[in-house]
Amino acid sequence: MKKLALSPTMKVVLKRMDSHSMFRKFLDLPLRIKFILSFLVVISFGGIVSLFFGTRLEHRTIFSLAQAKVRHDLASAWTVYNERLNDIRDIVFLNATRDSIQQALLAGDRLVLERTLDRVLRDFHLDVLTVTDGQGKVIYRVHQPDVHGDDQAGDALVGRALQKETVIATEIIPRSELLKEGKDLAERAYLRFIPTPKAAFRPEDHEENGMMLKGAAPMIDELGKVVGVLYGGILLNLNYDIVDRVKDIVFKGERYKGKEIGTVTIFQNDLRISTNVTDEKGQRAIGTRVSQEVYDAVLVQGRPWVGRAFVVNHWYITAYEPIKNISGKIIGMLYVGMLEKPYIDLRNNVMLTFTGIAGLCAVSLLIILFFITSSITNPLRRMVLATKKIAQGDLNHQVQIGSKDEIGELARSFNQMTENLKAANENLIQWGKTLEKRVEERTTELREMQDFLVQSEKLASLGKMAAGIAHEINNPLTSILINTHLMLEKLEKKDEFQENLSLIADETSRCSQIIKGLLEFARQTPPQKVLTRINDLIDRTTQLLENQASFQNVRIVKDLDLTLPPIKLDKSKIQQVFWNLMLNSCQAMLKGGQILISSRLSADKKYIEVRFIDNGVGIPKENISKLFDPFFTTKGSGTGLGLAVSYGIVQQHNGKVEVKSEIGQGTVFTLSFPIEYQTQNLPIKGDTGE
Amino acid sequence: MSEKSKKKILVVDDEITVCKSIRQAIVSEEYEVDTALSGEEAVKKDNENAYDLVITDLMMPGISGLDLLKTLKEARPGVSVIMVTGYPTIKTAVQSVKLGAFDYLPKPFTPADLRGLVSRAFKKAEGAGEGEVEAAALRIPPGYYYMLGHTWLKVEGDHDAVVGVVHDFLKTVGIITQLELSKKDDTISQGEVCGKITAADSLVHRIWSPASGRVIEANAKLMEDFSMLRRDPYFNGFLFRIETSNLEEDVKGLILAK
Repeated sequence: MKKLALSPTMKVVLKRMDSHSMFRKFLDLPLRIKFILSFLVVISFGGIVSLFFGTRLEHRTIFSLAQAKVRHDLASAWTVYNERLNDIRDIVFLNATRDSIQQALLAGDRLVLERTLDRVLRDFHLDVLTVTDGQGKVIYRVHQPDVHGDDQAGDALVGRALQKETVIATEIIPRSELLKEGKDLAERAYLRFIPTPKAAFRPEDHEENGMMLKGAAPMIDELGKVVGVLYGGILLNLNYDIVDRVKDIVFKGERYKGKEIGTVTIFQNDLRISTNVTDEKGQRAIGTRVSQEVYDAVLVQGRPWVGRAFVVNHWYITAYEPIKNISGKIIGMLYVGMLEKPYIDLRNNVMLTFTGIAGLCAVSLLIILFFITSSITNPLRRMVLATKKIAQGDLNHQVQIGSKDEIGELARSFNQMTENLKAANENLIQWGKTLEKRVEERTTELREMQDFLVQSEKLASLGKMAAGIAHEINNPLTSILINTHLMLEKLEKKDEFQENLSLIADETSRCSQIIKGLLEFARQTPPQKVLTRINDLIDRTTQLLENQASFQNVRIVKDLDLTLPPIKLDKSKIQQVFWNLMLNSCQAMLKGGQILISSRLSADKKYIEVRFIDNGVGIPKENISKLFDPFFTTKGSGTGLGLAVSYGIVQQHNGKVEVKSEIGQGTVFTLSFPIEYQTQNLPIKGDTGE
Repeated sequence: MSEKSKKKILVVDDEITVCKSIRQAIVSEEYEVDTALSGEEAVKKDNENAYDLVITDLMMPGISGLDLLKTLKEARPGVSVIMVTGYPTIKTAVQSVKLGAFDYLPKPFTPADLRGLVSRAFKKAEGAGEGEVEAAALRIPPGYYYMLGHTWLKVEGDHDAVVGVVHDFLKTVGIITQLELSKKDDTISQGEVCGKITAADSLVHRIWSPASGRVIEANAKLMEDFSMLRRDPYFNGFLFRIETSNLEEDVKGLILAK
């Protein structure tokens, strides 16, 4: 399925691969295609090369074997051929030595000759059996008794026999001689050439001479005198005894797809005169000729010829050797050929098998390759996907690859990397949050500092103003006070103005007290700190207050942490703060109520917190921010300095004041004093002096 | 008393009404009072006419009260100077006393306050000549800190201290008819009033605290017998025991007896 999906791509790819940038384009291909293409190239190249060399090797081996066989077969054919020739010698020799035949020859008794030799001719399937006298003149022809008296002494074999030699040979018999030996023989020998494509050029278009296995033996009398010659022979033209016998002995009649595997042929010159090579119609291919190549090699140069040859209409593995007459002249050829087709088919089968195996291997390889590349590219693709997901911010994505190879290793590393990235990212987010929190904290701190500075600024301006006022007002007050007293001194005790003047004096003194308080507040004398248990201060303040009239309706409840460490405090000032706060609470509970005073460590254990919780009327929201402003008061009486002074004092202790209030529910003041007191005080501008 | 025996007092203040008021408050058969509206004028007048007592405002344009005090004391160490201030600070008060002022008085004040002070000033000046025996018998014990002519401070332990009145002060007061003191747990500050003595001549004398702190024990026996103050001012006649709050700073403004 995947292959189908790939193939169009590959087509496109192959089409593209025509330019010089092919290699670069190859590198740009998907990994899988690259792998498969590379393997295909290697497999194809290897396959083709091995097929080529394999074929050649196999060809050489099979054909050299075949050629060796065909040579051997030719040798066998020669044995059969020579055996026939030897038969003829034996026949002529034996009959030449027969007394009856000598007697008959000497007596000129043709009848006896006829009777004796006719049988020999027939028994031994001879075509010719002829008796001559001591001079070579034909006495009796068994095959054609009518023709005699001609001289055969000129014949090479007869000539030798007249010299007391028994000889055999293959000889070309001219038509004129054939006609003498028998008209049928001449007819048999006469062959029209059948046009053969590769044959050598010959001017004539037929053959009229015959080729014969011929033997001649002398007939010698008791005195050792040659009295006659007996010669006999077999006309090879159209005589298939030898070729078929060779075929039967050597090839045992084996056939391949209806064709004889082995073929044997006797050539007269280059003409097939006896053969079992067949044409398309299944007829013996008599009359056809040998190819020019073989003609040149065997007939002209006299060498044996072994090799492929196109015989009539099939390729054969062939061996040719020349046939020579008694004087050594080449007169024809003996041929053995094996049909090439079985070998070709064998070769083709081998090749086909090879190719099949190679193909199978290639396909197997491709399949393996497909899975291997899948095992590489699929994880890679998953990792690419994972990378994309991570790039999109999904850091939870993990690559699921279980293998333990390099890719598995990569995946694990990748997952590890993702996890690290995730952790880093989380850290970053956490850090961002922390930063946000810290910014918030810092903002709060800054706001507190700003509040503090504003408050300080208020105190500072107030201090300057108070100093000026004190100086300017105290002078007139001095005058008023002195003069009032002077008047009082001069008046009678019961004077009607006595009371008025006393009032003036008292009120002047009160003015002075107010100014003194103002100065006191504005001056912000530096706190005088000693190690103090804050609970002691609370106890002392409450003891003092319990006797005050304004506290009669108020219940004071204490919840003190007795384990608190002592801290450095200005006792009198802190006591003043506690006093002010409690007074403030009492004034919010004119109809009675409860003040809960608690002391404890803060959650971070860096502060001691003292809380004053009342269930009074509460403070309206709009007033909370003004609560610590000097002269801010909602009461009819009072200077409005109490809380401002308290605030200043707590600030001088590096402490904090917090107020929470609900209308109708009550108010909570929380004072925080640092346990580890920092010695450098924040600057208080209000501390002016002369 | 004859004209010649009249004490000569110079009142210095840049406000004429204040000058007049003060003059009216103290002018009597015993005292001849002049006024000056500036430090320069005061110096000039003092050169013409050596005064027995100069009452001067602390804060004035030109020559300030402190400068005037220095000039006067340099010229005539025997002159008594009372500092009056409209904007009192412990620092300046202590400084004045150290520079030789007899005492100081924050504005506003009543004629009685001023008269008591003036009377004490003259008594002291006189006492220096008359009560030799008594003076010799009494010395501020070594190790005591004191505000010149006022109160003493004896440090006990790390923070606690005993406060009393120096004999010089008492000498100028005379017979004590009434004694008002800060009570237990009261907070007192250096240079501020921590008690008042009313003398037989009905003059009121303020007692300045030598240190800041909280009263932890008032001398109960003293309240029963005021005479103890005169008889044994440095031991049984102490005023009260305090827990100091700023001892280190406070002693800088005091003199250590040797």
